[in-house]
Amino acid sequence: MSLKRQVIQIHRFLRRCVLAGLLLGAVLSEASGQSIDIFSGVELHFKDLDFKRQYDVLINLTPGFKWDMGNHWQLSGQVIVPVFNQYGEDFSGIRPNNLAVSKQLKTGPFYWKATAGLFSHNRYGIDLKTFVPVTEWLAFEAQAGYLGQLFTWPFWYIGKPDRFAGTVGGDIYLKRWNAQLRGVAGWYLYQDYGFEAEAMRHFNHTTVSVYANWNNLTRFDAGFRVVVMIPPYHRKARVVNFRPASNFRLSYTVMFHPYSNVMYKTDPEENERDGWFDRDLLEWGSHTMAPDFIIEGKEVEE
Amino acid sequence: MKRIALVLAIATVLSIPAAGRAQQYMGTSGLLHVPSAEMHHEGDAFMGIHYLDKHMTPDTGFLYAGEKYNTFDYYVALTPFKWIEVSYVCTERIHAKQGDEITKWGKDRSASIKLRPLEEGVYWPAVAIGCNDFATSVFKKDRTDVQLYFMNVYLAATKHFSFGGNEVGVTLAYRHYLRGYNAKWNGLVGGVTFRPAFFPQARVVAEYTGNEFLLGMDVLLWRHLRLQAGVKDFKYMHAGLALQFNLLGQKYRY
Repeated sequence: MSLKRQVIQIHRFLRRCVLAGLLLGAVLSEASGQSIDIFSGVELHFKDLDFKRQYDVLINLTPGFKWDMGNHWQLSGQVIVPVFNQYGEDFSGIRPNNLAVSKQLKTGPFYWKATAGLFSHNRYGIDLKTFVPVTEWLAFEAQAGYLGQLFTWPFWYIGKPDRFAGTVGGDIYLKRWNAQLRGVAGWYLYQDYGFEAEAMRHFNHTTVSVYANWNNLTRFDAGFRVVVMIPPYHRKARVVNFRPASNFRLSYTVMFHPYSNVMYKTDPEENERDGWFDRDLLEWGSHTMAPDFIIEGKEVEE
Repeated sequence: MKRIALVLAIATVLSIPAAGRAQQYMGTSGLLHVPSAEMHHEGDAFMGIHYLDKHMTPDTGFLYAGEKYNTFDYYVALTPFKWIEVSYVCTERIHAKQGDEITKWGKDRSASIKLRPLEEGVYWPAVAIGCNDFATSVFKKDRTDVQLYFMNVYLAATKHFSFGGNEVGVTLAYRHYLRGYNAKWNGLVGGVTFRPAFFPQARVVAEYTGNEFLLGMDVLLWRHLRLQAGVKDFKYMHAGLALQFNLLGQKYRY
């Protein structure tokens, strides 16, 4: 795809996003407690597999939206827009990455999140997550999804839902040091199984972690992850909010096993620092720290 | 002429308000080539690049057509707690050339960790243990091909003395490299640092690596840009720069 054509497509897409956001905002302004966030982040991918240059680089824009419908109902959507691509034709097209509706709730000690729709990694289906805080420092978690394949680039393909993926694990949060230990075992997206241990250190607006994992196909791997929450950290609550993505996430792997220990994402801004649940619903772990974003005028739901 | 240029370069760095405590080419704290028991501040994170004269690299692994070459490395580093530092370094290697143009690149990847079990007190020095390039063998199926060019372990002690607001630091370390081709840097190593009262952000370093004497300094600009330069025998220069951030939001002068 030529650069000129890409620029035209990106421009058209962003214009439609803005128009749709304004239209939806006009509707939502009549409905109390609802808001829509329109955002975009940047993905930076690089791999060191070619001797002829330092790195192969892929840069994507990730515009998306989140419609907070109240009572922890959410509709979200996101597309991937490549702007610089040395990864090849398979990564050159504008393609959806998320279009999902989700609901979070609390029943007894259990926190639940159910999501249906299109997820990352070209998957669609249903997903259920649960989180169970036992003490202020110990919690358990599980995720299960029933999935089918859905490709829109470089070809159209919709497969029947025929795959199960799930993980189960535990978390330990050490408040004194703002550190978190996480261990999960799972039957992963590409039908491999394995486990992973991760140690996180939460700083102001940044989380850094190191991890090691084992997989039945590729054995050992390790790496580190960095999640940086993107400013501005003080925002005003409006019915329609235009903002940068909440976070930039960098993940480094030593062995480059892109199909091992992988799980899909059901939220376009999902990251290890925030976890799966809204801050105003689940107060555990990093959610007990000072908030990254102070939103003036936002009503806090009890 | 080259010597004059080098002296001028170092003098220029000296004239800028700045500072440091880094064995910067590996991303961790230390002197120039010698490790120390100093640590960065808790929450300090670095991204940097460093030019390495061929005398700074091991005698194997960084050869092309039988000759060593100058290269560079780049790194990220973090001090998650005040008693531990970690860093990850990629050092460029040349695999093929056509004339002066390098047509095939490679990287030697290495990870470092440093722990400080004993913090410096009034009457005793800080003590740290550390290891560079420790991780490769864990992931290699064929252990005979394990590289570990920079693999070394060390035990270091550092004590600082103050007089008139000036600070002198003395470091003594025992270091052992795994590979025989690095044996010249084994044994007792150490150095002296000087941080002037009128310019506390700056640090001058003189050290003995076990095989050679190095002289250099490091500086910190605008709290975020760290520079370091050093010379061996006033001939062979290495220098680098790094972006520095404190992820806990603290603002340190050095």
